[in-house]
Amino acid sequence: MKKVIVHPERCVGCMQCMLACAAAHSRSGTLLGALGEAPLPRSRIHVGVGAFDEGFPNRCRHCDPAPCMLACLPGAIYRDASSGTVLVDADRCINCASCAMACPYGVIRYHAVWDGPPEKIVAVKCDNCLARQAQGLVPACVEICKSGALTFEAPDRAARRRTDEVARSVSSGAICPPPAPGFALLAAHKRARAEVPAG
Amino acid sequence: MQYVIIGNGIAGVSAAEAIRRIDPDGPITMIGDETGPPYCRPMISMVLEGRIGPERLPVRGRDFYDRLGIMPVLGRRATAIDVDRRQVCIGERRCAYDRLLIAAGADPRPIRAEASNLGNIFFMRRREDVHGIHHALDAGVRRALVLGGGLVGFKAAYGLIQQGIPTTMLIGSAYPLSMQVDARAGAMIREALVARGLDVRVNLEVRAFDGNGAVRQAHLSDGSHLDCDLVVVGKGVLPARSFIPAERIAVDLGVVVDDHMQTCVPGVFAAGDVAQFVDIARQTPWVNAIWPEAVNTGRIAGFNMAGRPVACPGTLSRNVIRIFDLDVMTAGLVNPPEDGTCQILQAEDHRRRTYRKLVLRGGRLVGMAMVGRIEQGGVLTALIGSRTAVRGNPERLLDAHFNAGRLVS
Ligand SMILES: Cc1cc2nc3c(=O)[nH]c(=O)nc-3n(C[C@H](O)[C@H](O)[C@H](O)COP(=O)(O)OP(=O)(O)OC[C@H]3O[C@@H](n4cnc5c(N)ncnc54)[C@H](O)[C@@H]3O)c2cc1C
Repeated sequence: MKKVIVHPERCVGCMQCMLACAAAHSRSGTLLGALGEAPLPRSRIHVGVGAFDEGFPNRCRHCDPAPCMLACLPGAIYRDASSGTVLVDADRCINCASCAMACPYGVIRYHAVWDGPPEKIVAVKCDNCLARQAQGLVPACVEICKSGALTFEAPDRAARRRTDEVARSVSSGAICPPPAPGFALLAAHKRARAEVPAG
Repeated sequence: MQYVIIGNGIAGVSAAEAIRRIDPDGPITMIGDETGPPYCRPMISMVLEGRIGPERLPVRGRDFYDRLGIMPVLGRRATAIDVDRRQVCIGERRCAYDRLLIAAGADPRPIRAEASNLGNIFFMRRREDVHGIHHALDAGVRRALVLGGGLVGFKAAYGLIQQGIPTTMLIGSAYPLSMQVDARAGAMIREALVARGLDVRVNLEVRAFDGNGAVRQAHLSDGSHLDCDLVVVGKGVLPARSFIPAERIAVDLGVVVDDHMQTCVPGVFAAGDVAQFVDIARQTPWVNAIWPEAVNTGRIAGFNMAGRPVACPGTLSRNVIRIFDLDVMTAGLVNPPEDGTCQILQAEDHRRRTYRKLVLRGGRLVGMAMVGRIEQGGVLTALIGSRTAVRGNPERLLDAHFNAGRLVS
């Protein structure tokens, strides 16, 4: 089973994933159409800034056990058995924000959605683009990401790749390729800017 | 392995589900004096408010007991525990156990006012209580009186004013929810309630009630009296421990448990509102009578009962409240002792009506309160719960653009 893997060190903070996510969760399914819709579709991936102003793509990890699911008062949060995706039943949700208090990543938001009860504010989070996946598409955030910060792969494969990267970087004499050319420089620049005292 | 669970609230339910993940066959008997499928207790206040109907309360299906192969004994109370014979008494009947869970929850704290047995004086703990309040409202209520400004008193008052009932709230402290929030957030909550017509009176108690069958008047501690035809008592809760043999099973405020939710008697466990463990932020014995901890401790108890050792680092007080356009979230030590051991950081934005307070002790976050922009409050709550040392300048956690990325890099 493939999963979206986040590589924060590769994020350039372009926020394209947010636009793509909002569009993918709109009624029309397109960015242009989404702009004119009410309720205005919103992203379920949240690009914030890290400690050194670097980009940080933040999205639901579909934890198991999922703290949001355990904390949900009405029992509206459940796990889709086949994909392991943690989903919200908008009809059952009571907008109590218990899940916001439980989520250690802070990735749940509250607003109306076009495919939920009209005008009702509900908890909204990443659904792994299950509707797109059913059509053979990869999640929208991954599709749009050009820097490799978001990939869609089997977790064991991702873990192996990661181990290889670390191994390469620590073995003496090895030439360590930067995660992606240019980003290391950009990250170093941001880090330096943040660390140099202002004024 | 034979399991008996006393209480079919969320702690008992979570324990039964955890047991079944490990032991699919061991017989489970569940004794609960409330009948019907398990329901969400906090949501009864939304039924009072009229925001949802009572049919929305169940959190598990009608088939819950069947599906998990549980033998339900509903509408009955466990009356005693025979520790030596490993039996639970239900009146004359006895029920043998190898593993017992006490998940009896809590009962409303009674009040010491004369004639408090008059009609239309209610607690708000059970489905039936709200049913009774609705019944009284249907018959016509001119003024309601809410005693106590804790979570239940607050929710009762909120529900009543949302229904347009003129309501007076008597509280012992300067603002409602004084156990849950700090003075600043409390003042904001009070302002919001008063703006919608709630009459809040502080440092007052009821000495006696008056009425012919049903309550008509309350006599207050300052000698004055107040006309009221509905009273909701929300003076906190006490662990439901009356049937527990305190000479055998250690009981303090609640039933004392270790980090595996086991009492001092091997094989006997406790979880939820009835249990007393250690508060993570305070690092002292504590009863955290809240829903998420009832789920958490119930689950952990269930795993341990079925033979999978799982330890609990402690429980954490926390709450999130949404009233009108005000969102409030708090966790841990919100009102720290003024002994110089804690560092307090605060930020307030009057225009946006946001407020944030952090309490740090020994390089760790031990408490927080936030008003507005609470979506990422879980990150702070998790920091408190995991007792992670805060690296770098903690002031950045006050920033409105704060997110999980600020912690990991
Ligand atoms: C109005 C209201 C609002 C609340 N709002 C919130 C909130 O917003 N957030 C939050 O975190 N918490 C809230 N709570 C608290 C929350 O409901 C409790 O923490 C939670 O329900 C505790 O679960 P429990 O299973 O431990 O106990 P309970 O829910 O009390 O369940 C225990 C069950 O055991 C039964 N029982 C007791 N003794 C016996 C016996 N001897 N034999 C058989 N059965 C017995 C009881 O009748 C009860 O059905 C609220 C509570 C109320 C009343």
